[in-house]
Amino acid sequence: MSEKLQTLIIEDEELARNLLRSYLKDQPDIEIIGECENGFDGVKAINEKKPDLVFLDIQMPKITGFEMIELLDHIPQIIFTTAYDQYALKAFELNAVDYLLKPFSKERMQKAIEKVVHHIQHNENNIEKLEELTNFRPGEEHIDRVVVKDRHKIHIITVDKIRYIESLDDYVMIYTHDGRHMKQKTMKYFETYLDPKNFIRIHRSFIVQVDNIAEIQQYEKESYVVILKDKDKTKLKVSKTGYKKIKEVLHF
Amino acid sequence: MKHPLTNNYKLLLYYVLFWGVISAINIILQVFWYNVPLTYSLLDTGTNYVLYPLMGSSIWYSIRYNSLEEVTVGRLLLFHFIAASILCAIWVYISFAIFKPFITEDNSFLENGLPSKIFAGYLMYAIYLVFFYAVNYYQSLKEKIKKEVEYKTLLREAELQALKSQINPHFLFNSLNSISSLTVSNPEKAQEMVINLSTFMRYSLMHNEKEMVPFSRELENIKLYLSIEKVRFGKKLNAEFEIDSKCLEAEIPNMILQPLFENAIKYGVYETTEQVTINTSCVCEGNLLKIAIVNDYDADTIKRKGEGIGLRNIRQRMQIIYNQPDLIKITDHKTKFEVQLIIPQKQAVS
Repeated sequence: MSEKLQTLIIEDEELARNLLRSYLKDQPDIEIIGECENGFDGVKAINEKKPDLVFLDIQMPKITGFEMIELLDHIPQIIFTTAYDQYALKAFELNAVDYLLKPFSKERMQKAIEKVVHHIQHNENNIEKLEELTNFRPGEEHIDRVVVKDRHKIHIITVDKIRYIESLDDYVMIYTHDGRHMKQKTMKYFETYLDPKNFIRIHRSFIVQVDNIAEIQQYEKESYVVILKDKDKTKLKVSKTGYKKIKEVLHF
Repeated sequence: MKHPLTNNYKLLLYYVLFWGVISAINIILQVFWYNVPLTYSLLDTGTNYVLYPLMGSSIWYSIRYNSLEEVTVGRLLLFHFIAASILCAIWVYISFAIFKPFITEDNSFLENGLPSKIFAGYLMYAIYLVFFYAVNYYQSLKEKIKKEVEYKTLLREAELQALKSQINPHFLFNSLNSISSLTVSNPEKAQEMVINLSTFMRYSLMHNEKEMVPFSRELENIKLYLSIEKVRFGKKLNAEFEIDSKCLEAEIPNMILQPLFENAIKYGVYETTEQVTINTSCVCEGNLLKIAIVNDYDADTIKRKGEGIGLRNIRQRMQIIYNQPDLIKITDHKTKFEVQLIIPQKQAVS
């Protein structure tokens, strides 16, 4: 390998960063180009510096290592580090993306780096695997927040702030009380992971927060619209099965 | 179950005394009031109030193996009728056999007295039956209560065991990672942390043995725990204590505070990039030790999903130990999260 791997460390604990840095210091293939203490800075650094390799802690303030992946424009090779998170471990087992269990030895880390080098030399892509990881949420039945990014900023939307979600081909538009955010995820994902007691897929194109429904109107025979509790009285189409689901959840 | 008379000497004594008194009264009445010859009186008393009680004590076995719940009423009546008849026959036969040698002249009074004697035999059987059923019922009730108390204690212990907090593996492995890092950069500090971690672990393992500890001991352990976490989180974690020193002697269930601080770190320190203060204050009011733990948290990043398993366990544990509801109060002040524990004391803390 002619060039060194441009490497970024994203880890919230100083001691853990120190250790990783001291391990990496004399690795011939590695050049550390930066360190980040939290997920926000991490996303920014990856998108700007476009590193080859990232050591990524999973549990971090603000956003987790998994959530970060959803926000990346540039997807590098990633070696995850975690102390103990049985759900994350399960995800890794299914996925074959490499991970280091803290505390780990230098030798174990070297193996992980060798694997990465191998991937890069054989031009093996890990994007699909990583995307799969972001969908993996065993243990937590329902998500309680969604992370989104616009040009300037990363937003964390707790699910109670979501009014409704609209499908836009490969994307969804998430409407909250103070704006809207685009995100590259499927409707199926939100239908599966949002708590069905609070969110109903009323139509192929819409998922609505139950508390946000003001009324349901019939506008043709066997076809309905919901009217939302907002200034504009947004109207959303309801499909036949959607109507059934609303009836079930609201008991009428 | 053993025979109540042989099993319980006190009862046996009462039994003997009872029949002894009855016998004495009978003899006195017969001899001095009715002018019955002493020999007859003794014979009469002996057969009625000594022989029958001796034989009657065996009725125990007839009820012991015919429990009221398991046998139908018809069968029970039949069984006891047969048993009573056999007992009566034997009793009357022996009574007559005893009487015979002493009767020299007319023995017609024996024959005349036969029906009433037989009737008395059956009546006594019935009385014995009631008596033994009562004894039996009382004994099994006592045994049942004793067993129930035993089960309850066992159950309580098992429940408490299950509710006691376990050391979070996440905490353990992260601490070990910190130590691993310190061995490179600061071996002395690494050693200190190993010792702190060991002391903390030892305390948390000890809680299997002892339920209550002095508050000062629990507090020491919390400070240890926080000092370990402080090595990991550095400036981000700021712990403040406002402890009324007269509370230190109060008693508190061991390891009851640690999960609360673990929560404060998980939701406070872990989820934010700013400094988080965990403030612990405590006061003693009469028989109550009140501990409040308040931590900052970032309401934008996390939506608190009510009570997690940690808080629920503490609530249940307190409920079992003190048998009082609402000893734990949780208040969400939007940027601060407060948990208040109320620990009842046996006596007022002074």
